[in-house]
Amino acid sequence: MWQSNAAYQVGFVVLVFAAWFFATQWLAISPLLMPDPVNVIKRLAQLLQSLEWMDPFWVTASEVLSAFALSSVLGIALSFVLSRSLWVVKTFDPLLNGINAVPAILFFPLFALLFGLGPGSKIALGFTISFFPIVINTTAAFGRVESIHLKAATCMGASKWQLLRYVLLPSAIPMILSGLRMGLTLAFLSVLGGETIASFNGLGHQIAESSQAMDSELMYAWILFVIAVSFSLNTTLSLIERIGGRAP
Amino acid sequence: MSQVAFLAKAGHRNWVRCLFVAALLLLWECAARFWVDPMFLSPPSRVLGQMDALFARPGVLQAYGDLMAELLIAFVVSVVLGLLLGLAVGLAKSTRERMMPIVLLLYGTPQITILPIVMLAAGVGFGSKVIFGITHGVFPVLLSVASSLQKVRPIYHVSARAFGATPWQKFRYILLPCMLPSFFSSLRLSMIACLLGVLLAELFASTKGIGFFTRQFTDTFDPTSLFGLISVAVVLAIALNASLAWMQSRWVTRQWT
Amino acid sequence: MFVVNPLDIAVEIKGVSHSFEGALGQAGAELMALSTTDLAIRRGELLSLIGPSGCGKSTLLNMMGGLLTPTSGEVRVNGAIVTAPMPKTVSFVFQENALFPWNTILDNIVVALTFQNVPSGERLDVAHQALKAVGLSEFAQYYPDQLSGGMRQRAALARALSLKTDIILMDEPFAALDEQTRMVLGEDLSTLLNQTGKTIVLVTHSLGEAVFLSDRIAVISARPGRVLEVIEVGEPHPRHPEFVTSGKFAELRNRLYALLHDEIRQTLSTQAMGIPSAGLQSAAGSSRHD
Repeated sequence: MWQSNAAYQVGFVVLVFAAWFFATQWLAISPLLMPDPVNVIKRLAQLLQSLEWMDPFWVTASEVLSAFALSSVLGIALSFVLSRSLWVVKTFDPLLNGINAVPAILFFPLFALLFGLGPGSKIALGFTISFFPIVINTTAAFGRVESIHLKAATCMGASKWQLLRYVLLPSAIPMILSGLRMGLTLAFLSVLGGETIASFNGLGHQIAESSQAMDSELMYAWILFVIAVSFSLNTTLSLIERIGGRAP
Repeated sequence: MSQVAFLAKAGHRNWVRCLFVAALLLLWECAARFWVDPMFLSPPSRVLGQMDALFARPGVLQAYGDLMAELLIAFVVSVVLGLLLGLAVGLAKSTRERMMPIVLLLYGTPQITILPIVMLAAGVGFGSKVIFGITHGVFPVLLSVASSLQKVRPIYHVSARAFGATPWQKFRYILLPCMLPSFFSSLRLSMIACLLGVLLAELFASTKGIGFFTRQFTDTFDPTSLFGLISVAVVLAIALNASLAWMQSRWVTRQWT
Repeated sequence: MFVVNPLDIAVEIKGVSHSFEGALGQAGAELMALSTTDLAIRRGELLSLIGPSGCGKSTLLNMMGGLLTPTSGEVRVNGAIVTAPMPKTVSFVFQENALFPWNTILDNIVVALTFQNVPSGERLDVAHQALKAVGLSEFAQYYPDQLSGGMRQRAALARALSLKTDIILMDEPFAALDEQTRMVLGEDLSTLLNQTGKTIVLVTHSLGEAVFLSDRIAVISARPGRVLEVIEVGEPHPRHPEFVTSGKFAELRNRLYALLHDEIRQTLSTQAMGIPSAGLQSAAGSSRHD
């Protein structure tokens, strides 16, 4: 099933490149807006070979991972605490959903003011954007444990710790993992966003910088690189989810 | 009434929420006054106090007007476009199988990467913000329409054939009712996405909009104006979201899935 | 009282067999659902199709209704070969959940009448009459999910009746109901049909139901199905509850059981090996429409 999906996607990408190529050949479009894809590919190869990609990549990666580490640990901890009381969950649920509706990118200038243009502001942004969805998902996951399972286990004499380990966690884990996946993806997107808007380095910054320098070939090369990174991230996460879903 | 029952009443929950928000504001006030350098953080009291000065600045009110206009246009276009594309993709099984993977591929691509391209093509003004809002806002509607069409239960397809419904009758009496609940909830998501797109474009490059002023206030280390600017935008976003959620709850009176 | 004329054939099935393409993942493998079958259904009778799971009885029913075209042989309704659904001649009652949940049961009937192109002025009256006939008038403004399973199926029956077709095809209409509700609905159905003289073909799993309701019972063998035997019940309509406790009923039921027992055993053992049954899929999946 997914094979035919992948086939359509690959076909589409090939089509886009072909259209791009013929557009530059036949239509009079400014090379600033749409450079020759062959040159772009060459520039991309150059980027990869010269290892120029490594520094921005690791900057971005470290920002994303830091933001995610913070939001996942704090998020799960907070969710666990919140989920202990149904009253608390019901009270704070609309607040959480309300804040989630605000595009947190609005706070980025604040972070830039507070933390400057270095990694700090990006990590703060990544944390803010990924924190709330994780909390919402994880709280729901903890809340969803069938009371019948808890009842059955308690009847069999399970202690509070055993209940946690053998009933609560295993049933909550799939939903928690999907919340975490969403969090990581959001952290990645928001860090990229922050870097593009205002930063000293990182992948997003490379795109913005080459755009301001009017070096379209380089800009497109970086864009392709980032899209490839994003795609690999998504595919890896999907694989993990699929494998994790099968494990007991 | 027991303490627990007292707290459990919905109205009383609202009091707790208000208290919580008030506590946060208090925390902000104290942090800004006593703990953090005033160059970086401004207390809410001062922000509120200087709100009229903020709006008196030339261009600020206009910037908000532009933002709302960009948002509104992007939203309307997104919904219409999303609906049409969703129908085009979702109505026939063959198009669904071929087009959905492509839609999902596009949806999974980080749009922030192509923002510079959009800016190059459409300039730094109104147009590029609207376009970027549309590219974000179209997906929730498209995906919801296509997906709900896909989920129409086979028995309904069979019933349409068995009872001799014409394609239009099938759409009007079967497919449309199946589609509507999820379409309405996608409107709210689309609005949020449009706002995100418009804001991203604004913050990236803006000559007189909200993005311009955020840059100005950041560069001049004016946290009071910056907080004021952002607070108003946050309140606007929350108000929009709440009103759409309210409208949704009024229209969708029955859940039948 | 309606008397059935054995020479007046409403639905004729001649030399019909059907196989599905390997729609279930096995390239090139065909699934023979029905092997050469002949059956003639008399106008005004109630005929049951009974057989083990996956024997092709639903496939046969769908073919009678024009939802499926046989890969060989022909199906004729009122003398004409069936190529597509005939909404003015044949109506359906499916298993549960075929009513549209977004409409009240009254609107469900009105929509079906709309599909049949009944003039808009008449639709409401016809719909109300149909609900009255099944005893659901007070529930006209209720939604299907607010009603019990038995009431939903009565509404589905009302829908089929409102279309005023000569022939009604019912695919396990009572399967999702508990036995007590089935008994009562069965009696109601018998009374109702006695008055209308319609031709009914009923697919069922229940031996008792087949004997209680039918004029004749066609017993289908295990996949690929064919008609093993057609049993005459020979009891006048409307059927009364006392019939169930009569010796004739027991004898007929035992005959059915004897015919079916081995077929059912055979089906269960092949099912364990993962060979799926068709059912709804045959109507929905085999056409290129959606």
